[in-house]
Parts: sequence; structure tokens; C-alpha cells
Amino acid sequence: MLSARSCWRNASKTPYRHARYIVAAEGRHDSLDAIISFPDTQSGEGAEEEQHGQATISSGLAGKSIAVKDNIVTKDLPTTAASRILAGYASPFDATVVKLLRQHGAAISSKTNLDEFGMGSHSQNTNAGPVLSPYSRNGLPLSPGGSSGGSAVAVATEQCWAALGTDTGGSVRLPAAYSGVVGFKPSYGLLSRWGVIQYANSLDTVGVLAQSVEDARQVFRSLDVFDAEDPTSLPVSVRQRMRLQNSGSGQLRIGVPKEYNIQELSSSVRSAYARTLNALLAAGHTLHQISLPSTRRALSAYYVLAPAEASSNLAKYDGIRYGYRTSGPDALPKDNLPLYAQTRGEGFGEEVKRRILLGAYTLSSEAIDNYFIQAQKVRRLVQQDFDRVFAQSNPLLHADTSNSLNAEGVDIILTPTAPTLPPTVEEVKRQSPVESYMNDVFTVPASLAGLPAISVSVPLSGQEREGLDEHDVNSVGMQVIGQFGDDESVLAAAKVVEDLYY
Amino acid sequence: MSVSRLRYAPLHLSRPSTGHLPATPRYPRACIVAKWLQSRNLTTGHHLAREEAIPLRKHLKDEAKRKKTESKALGGSGVAKNQKIDARLKKWELTVGIEIHAELNTACKLFSNAPAEARGVQHAITPNSRVALFDAAIPGTQPAFQVATLLPALRAAIALGCEVQRTSYWDRKHYFHWDQPNGYQITQYYRPFAKDGLLVLRASDGVPASDLNGAETLAIGIKQIQMEQDTAKTTNLGSSMYHIDLNRAGMPLVEIITLPHIHSPQTAAAVVRKIQSILKAVDACVTGLELGGLRADVNVSVRQRGTDGTRASYSGVGGLGQRTEIKNLSSFKAVEDAIIAERDRQIDLLEGGGVIAGETRGWTLGATETTRLRGKEGEVDYRYMPDADLHPLVIGKDLVEHLRQRLPALPGEVEAELEQSYGLTQKDAKTFLDLDDGDRVDYLEAAVAHTLSKLGKSLGSNEYENQRKVGKLAGNWILHELGGLLATQQRSWADMAVTSQDIGDIVALLHEKQITMRVAKQILADLFERESITETSTVEQLVNAGNLRLRPLTEHEYEELAQGIIDDSPDMVKAVKGKGQKGKIMWFVGQMVRRGEEGTVEPEKAKKVVERLIGSVEVS
Repeated sequence: MLSARSCWRNASKTPYRHARYIVAAEGRHDSLDAIISFPDTQSGEGAEEEQHGQATISSGLAGKSIAVKDNIVTKDLPTTAASRILAGYASPFDATVVKLLRQHGAAISSKTNLDEFGMGSHSQNTNAGPVLSPYSRNGLPLSPGGSSGGSAVAVATEQCWAALGTDTGGSVRLPAAYSGVVGFKPSYGLLSRWGVIQYANSLDTVGVLAQSVEDARQVFRSLDVFDAEDPTSLPVSVRQRMRLQNSGSGQLRIGVPKEYNIQELSSSVRSAYARTLNALLAAGHTLHQISLPSTRRALSAYYVLAPAEASSNLAKYDGIRYGYRTSGPDALPKDNLPLYAQTRGEGFGEEVKRRILLGAYTLSSEAIDNYFIQAQKVRRLVQQDFDRVFAQSNPLLHADTSNSLNAEGVDIILTPTAPTLPPTVEEVKRQSPVESYMNDVFTVPASLAGLPAISVSVPLSGQEREGLDEHDVNSVGMQVIGQFGDDESVLAAAKVVEDLYY
Repeated sequence: MSVSRLRYAPLHLSRPSTGHLPATPRYPRACIVAKWLQSRNLTTGHHLAREEAIPLRKHLKDEAKRKKTESKALGGSGVAKNQKIDARLKKWELTVGIEIHAELNTACKLFSNAPAEARGVQHAITPNSRVALFDAAIPGTQPAFQVATLLPALRAAIALGCEVQRTSYWDRKHYFHWDQPNGYQITQYYRPFAKDGLLVLRASDGVPASDLNGAETLAIGIKQIQMEQDTAKTTNLGSSMYHIDLNRAGMPLVEIITLPHIHSPQTAAAVVRKIQSILKAVDACVTGLELGGLRADVNVSVRQRGTDGTRASYSGVGGLGQRTEIKNLSSFKAVEDAIIAERDRQIDLLEGGGVIAGETRGWTLGATETTRLRGKEGEVDYRYMPDADLHPLVIGKDLVEHLRQRLPALPGEVEAELEQSYGLTQKDAKTFLDLDDGDRVDYLEAAVAHTLSKLGKSLGSNEYENQRKVGKLAGNWILHELGGLLATQQRSWADMAVTSQDIGDIVALLHEKQITMRVAKQILADLFERESITETSTVEQLVNAGNLRLRPLTEHEYEELAQGIIDDSPDMVKAVKGKGQKGKIMWFVGQMVRRGEEGTVEPEKAKKVVERLIGSVEVS
């Protein structure tokens, strides 16, 4: 273990410093297409002062610049969700999380690029031009991960202090892993979704991307309040109950799911994972093999449920009240063209259309029993898998959790965030949609169960980096998953992992 | 879709343009989908031409007229067409199920705190002025269930005898149309909040005798009641432009679904009428069918009597024929006429060897046939899915009980009460309810209470019988005597000056035989002529002033009076004695009342005396 640590210390760069170094070295001053819109520079400065004046809560966020994923609405900047169908859309209100950031004195520095409506794992499906990773392999740009790729790259290249993303099936954790930053997805219902453009609303969460666990925690704590505007916001009583049961730090019982040791796991990721587990063991924590048997089916369930909800949530984009509308007529009776087909056909990108069609099919009366209903059952099984292995019981299922501690259970689960290092965008292009969905196999289960999960970047050892050129990534994402509502323990455990190396 | 609706301004939702420019008002672009939509019947019912509001009394009249013609037809006046129809209906049995949509009486929308659009308000509300962000499907917004909307819905469910479900759920029903900004309607498809109700109808509700089969009541099962959102109001301007008013978008509705237990068009109309009156009685809804607060879809099938039809089964009722659905019927008459037309069309088709297709059909007022809107292949797959943003609706038993105990009396209950406790006939009880929004029921109760307290212990100990006796008498006076005066003087109930106390006084005096019927009528007429109730002439004063109190004659005085008339009228005596015309006795009684001093002769006593005296007369 020591060797890995010292190796990293000798490099004396945190991953994002490495990224910045690469960007600077290549003389690239553009934003890597991480940003969709900036505040108007002239009015921007004034606005910034104004924002600082607005701070009503004294906070560590004061004066910090925070970028916001472009599927979270802001009054002063357009919100497009990287879709043509929302080209130039200006929201009449600020999302609750944006309002909170402003109240804490943070400056909203920019709106970041993403896979259209959050649908993708590489931030390439965007109307604003694909996001570029600061890293490359043999001259070919790597995937920055998605869908919050813009937020991850903006943090990695220090275009902002921290960024908000959204995570539906791994959209904060995967780009964090691929871009070498920290990506935290809190428990479902902790951070308000009021003002977050819906993709799959039973899975959508607001997440935080930052350069360190500590920074991510600071942003998270500023946003972790009940919001009456979001009907799925956890009520104050549940939050209090969860706070009481947060497991203390100290010695961690760490779960190692055997189902995550899949064939597709690349050797460098496998090696970094083993190295991290050994380091934790050496630091006095204990490792426990656990079984999450529904893991494989979780991915299929996710790709039934998320598109189904997407087909419903995206039905509002008809070009009537806002956003893009086709220039000609929108339905021709003689051509038997369905209503809005022209507008929606032109306004949505290919992946969005694919998922809408998939979702419309799985909800149709002939298919719903075999797809949507089955997927809901799998989702329940995935939740039960997790409830079985955690020491804490699920606070949503048991009102009184004081006596229900499972002595055999684990405090957190540690897995790789993704099975491989980031592919090149060329490889991504060659992938079939189903192959590209494979990227999410480790992140989707926590999303289905609504659990808190974080990706922390762990440096690759010299051996693991063998064969990679200097422009390639030098870290790999490790994911910490905790019981529902145990967000603080997840952050604490992530800090433990981070402290192994930095 | 009348042009008169032009008064609605165009849609005023802000439409963001590029950059951070302030949003500019956006006007709908011309589009040419009108025909396409019409071909799919995706335009919803509210914009069908609405009939003027028809008062209930006119309905009753129309119904009476209809019954008359019906009985004439059945009386075999020999119209060949009617005979033919009768023969067909003997062979074919009609089955109907109804879905009724009614707008709830609430202060706000179902999932936003935007104020509800008040119906019947005279001044027009600015279009698109009562729209919350969610109602316009602004990106990033979520529904917020308004608990208060549940109360009228629960009152409706309880009044219709439903079992209120402890837990129910919200589902999204998807279809594209501009009157539905989210692209889906939130409804309760899989698990509605109320199930298994019952609607009890009687002949007086308009159920034909053939449906009652000799029984007094006919029970129609209510399958379920669900809460859901209303759509926006669309106004068609010419062939290619619509204006959309989102004020109505998201308003709370209940959908009431009956079982296919209905077997005649008249009963179907009676069901809709009855449901409307119940919803109104418990204050669940503000307006009825004619004002667009209510609309109905009907499912119609026929089968040969004694067969299983096409073995189709709907809502668990099996052995039926293939059904069709007729959507958006917005008056009682439309419900009845559309069913008749569709029944006849289906029978024609089947007798001609055809097959009924499961399709959606439309009906316009005055048409003789329903028209096909779309078949199975054109059917919209609504892709129902649970709405993950909304918690299940959990309704406690205590709330249901609380509402049940405070529920206003239902029309059926009042009717039964009037019959049992006030001794009214079924017909009179029904009339009491139908007239003047039920105001006369309160009036009757007050009058009877007044009489009873006035008479006190003199009535005897059987309180139940006392109330029935007095109730029957008071009922007669209110309905027939007072009703007669209202009709001949062409006055309305509202500006009539006779108080319930006056009626109570008259009834009390009559019961005690202190005044005669004749005097009572005169007093009522005098009271009726009063300009207002502030005039102090009470019944007592009128009786005293006119010296109208009955002073009983002695037996001897009766005999004297009678004998005088008998002596004066030998011809009439002959008619009774010789020709046996017993009816002429009453002529003598009438003469006695007239000759006697005002208010002294009691006709019954007089009759006995006359009979006795005439009996002893020798006829030569």
C-alpha cells in the first residue's frame, strides 16, 4: 500500500491538478465544451455583487463559484437541458437548489453541458456539442462520462469551485470517475427537485461534483433541507429520524459484493479496487463479502423504468407554450402525421427519441405487464438486497430503527464506479446503445434503491498506468454506497478512502 | 365551438425567446390540425355547443309529456312504427353503462393552489389568469396535491354509497392534445379512491315501469369513483386557429362509473339526473349537466333476450353484446336520444347480419344517428403509469365517518322521510323536492312543527300518528291550495307572503274544527293578497275580525235548517227518494252551508241530518 501512496505523492498532483496541467500544457483555453452558458460579462459582474449581497446565510460557500448543470432551471441564465426543444428557454423561476446556493452567497458561474435531458453516459448526446474530457488516449479524446460530464470537466479543469449535477442512474458518479473528481449522489428526496427538469422522476436526484469530499459535503449540507415545493422531498420528521441513526465513523464494516466482480471488469480497475480494499484493511477496517443477487437484473430494470418515465415526463414538450417549434405545420391529416410529430422529431436528439419510444412501448397496454411491471418488481428486489446487507435498517420501512441493527450487516459497500477506465469517444461511437448502457452497471442499483452513493477518485499505480500515455487518466473511481438516509456515513467513508491517498 | 366565444383572449403564457431577453407574449400559431383532431375526436366535450340551462320543473314537465306519449303509444293507438319498435325491443335487450364527469366544488385546483374557476360567475375571468406554473407544465415543476379538494369528492362517494378506500393512487393517462399541457392527465386508473356504490331509483325518478318489473325501486351499481384533472378550455377560431384558456386546466373532477345495469334509455337519463341531484344535495358540485359542470359518456350494447350476446363482459358483468362508446353527452336529453339512436343502429345492423365493431362514436343534438369517430385501430393507448411524484392518497376512517355524519340529507332520504313521517304520497313527496329547490320541504317542516306545538296535548299520545295526520293536511295546503293560488295569480314562491306559521295556524284551526274548509280557503286567499308579511294580519286576527269561528249548531238547529230546505225543494226530494239519486244529498248540504251563518255549518253533520230527514219524508 505504501508504495502506491508514495508513488502518488511523488506525482504530487491531485487528479484535477493533473487535468489542469494537461489543459495548460496543450495550450487549450476553451472550456472543453463543458459550459453551455455564462452570465453576461457586463451584467455578470454586477450580478455577482448583487448575489453576494443576497447571501442570507453565513456559509463556507460565500464567494465560491458554482456551476449548475443545464437541466436545473435558473432565472438569469437560459436552461436548455442540452436539447434543441428547449433552445433559449428562460425559466420564470430558480430551482430550489439554485436559490439555496444564492442564499449561501455562492455565485452561479455557468450552466454546464450534459447528455440531452440527462440521457447518456458520455456527454456526447448534446445539442450544444459533445463535452471533451481533458484526457486523451493516443491522441484520441476520452469520454468525460455522463450525463453530468460538463459539470465534472468544469470542476476538473477549475472552471468552477464545485458544480451541481443530476444523477438518475449514475450521471454524477460516472463522470466524476472518468474526470478524476468527487461525485456525490445523496439519498432520493434529500435535495429538492423543484426546478430540476425531469428525466425519470422516481430516480432523479441532484448531486454534487467537487474536487474533494470535504467540498462536496459542504455543498451538500447547504442544500439538505426540506422543500414543500417538491412533493418527494423527505419531511422534517424523517430527516430527524435519519440523523439520529447515522452510524458513527471509526472502524468501518465494509461490504464487498461478489456480484460486482464481473467479467467486464478491466484489469486496471480490478487492481485499483483490490489495492484500495487492502489499504482499508490495513487501516483497521474490516471487509465482508456480501451478495446482491439482483445486481445483473438491476441494469435491465433501470433501462425499462427510466425510459418509461422519460416518455411521460417529456410529453410536455409540444412547442406550444415554450421552446422549439417547427417552422411549418405540425400535423397533416392527409399524411396521417401524428400531432406534434414534426416539432418533437426535430427538437429531440436520437438518444432521447430512442428512450421515448422504448418507454412508450414498455408502457403500452400489450407490453406493460412484461416490462414495466416486471421492472418494478426487480426494483423492489434490489432494495431488499441492500436492506439485507446493511447494518442499519431502512428508515423508510421501519419508523423505529434503534433496536433493529443488523449485527452481521455492513456500514457501507465499496465497489468500483465503472467497470473500465473511460473509453475514447471513438469507441463510444462504435458502441451499440445497449453496450453503452453497460457502463452504468455498478451505479444503477443504488439509484433504483434511492441510496446515497459517492465516487471518489483513487490514483492508478505505476503498474496500473502501464501502457497509458501521459495524457491519459491517472485515477479510477471507487464508489461508496450506504443505507438510505445514511449520507453522512457515506461522505465520512469516502473521506477515509480519499485520505488513503491524499 | 361557437364564434361567440371569441371574447377569450389568446394564450398569454410567456414564451422565452433566445438569450436572456425578457419573455414576450406569444400568440398561437395557425395550425391545420383541427380536422385531424376532429377525425379522432380529441376535442373534449366542453366545447360542444351547450344548451341553455333547463330548470328542473321544465324537465318534469317534459318528462310528464313524454310519459303521456309513451302511454298513448303503448295503448295501441295503432302507429305501425311503434308496433315495429315494440316487437324489436321484445327480441333485443339493451344494456348501458355510464361514466359521468363532474367538476368538484372547490376553492383551488387539484394539484396547484391556483384558484378554481368559478362557474356561473357573471363577469368573465381573464383567460389564463388562474394558472400556476405546474398547470402550464413549466419545466421543473411538480404537482402539489390540495387536500381540500378531497372533501367534496368524499361527500360524493359517501352519498353514492361507495366504500372509500384507505389507500388509493394517482396515475398518468397519456395523450397529446393542447388542452392538456403536461401531455398526460393525472387520474386514478388502477386504484380509485371509492368503489362499489349503489344508486337506488324509483318510478318517480323517471324509471319506466318495464324496468322496475313490479318492484318499487331499481338499484344500479356504481363501479368506482375516481378523482382526476380537467383539461384546458379550447376555443376554435375558424378552421385553423385555437385559443387555449388554461384557467380550467387542472380543475378537480370526479369520474363516476356505473356498472352496465341499465336497460332503457329513460333509466339512463334518470341515472344521470339522479346522480346530479345527489351531487348537488351534498354540495359536491356547483353546477349541473347543462352548465358544463357535468358530462357523460355511455357504453351501449344489445343482445338477443335469453342469449349471452357475444359473451362480452364489462366490469364483471358478463354475457353481453359488443359495446360501443358514445362520448361527451352534455344534456339529459342527449343521453337518452343518443342511446335510442345507438340501440336502433345496433339492432338494425345485427338484424341485417352485420357485426358490431368496438368503437367510439359521437352524437350531436338533434341527430337521428350516432357517428363513428374512431375504431379500435384508431384507439389511443393511454399508457397508464403511476405518477411517481405523488404520494398515495391515504384516507382515514375517522374523516369518512365525520363527513358521513354531517352529510346533508339526500334527495331519496328526504323523499322517504316525507312519505313516512309526514304521510305524503310518493308523488307529492317528489313534487315537494322538485319544486323551488326543495324550499317547500323546509316550509312544510316548519308549518307542521308550529301546528303540533299549538295543538299540544290535545292531540293524544301517538306522536308518530299525530305528525303524519298534521303533515298530510299541511302538505295538501302547501302543495295544492297554496300551489293553486301561485298558479292562478302567477306569483313565484320566493315573493309569496304566506308564512309557514300562517299555514300552521290554519291547519291547527281546521284540525280543531274551529273553522270550516271554506273559511280556511278564504283566509288563505286573504293572506296571499297581503303585500308583505310585515302586515300584521295574522290568521287569528282574520278569523276574529270576520267572526269566522265555527259556532257549532245544536242538533235542533241543524234539523230546522234542513227541514226548511226540504220543504222548499220537493223536486230535489223526489229525485233522491224516487229516482234514487243519492248524489243529490250533497245539494242539500251545500244549501245548508250557504243558508247557515258563515262558518257555522259542518258539512258532515249536515249530511247526516239531511239523510235522516229525507228518509222519513213520504213521497206521493
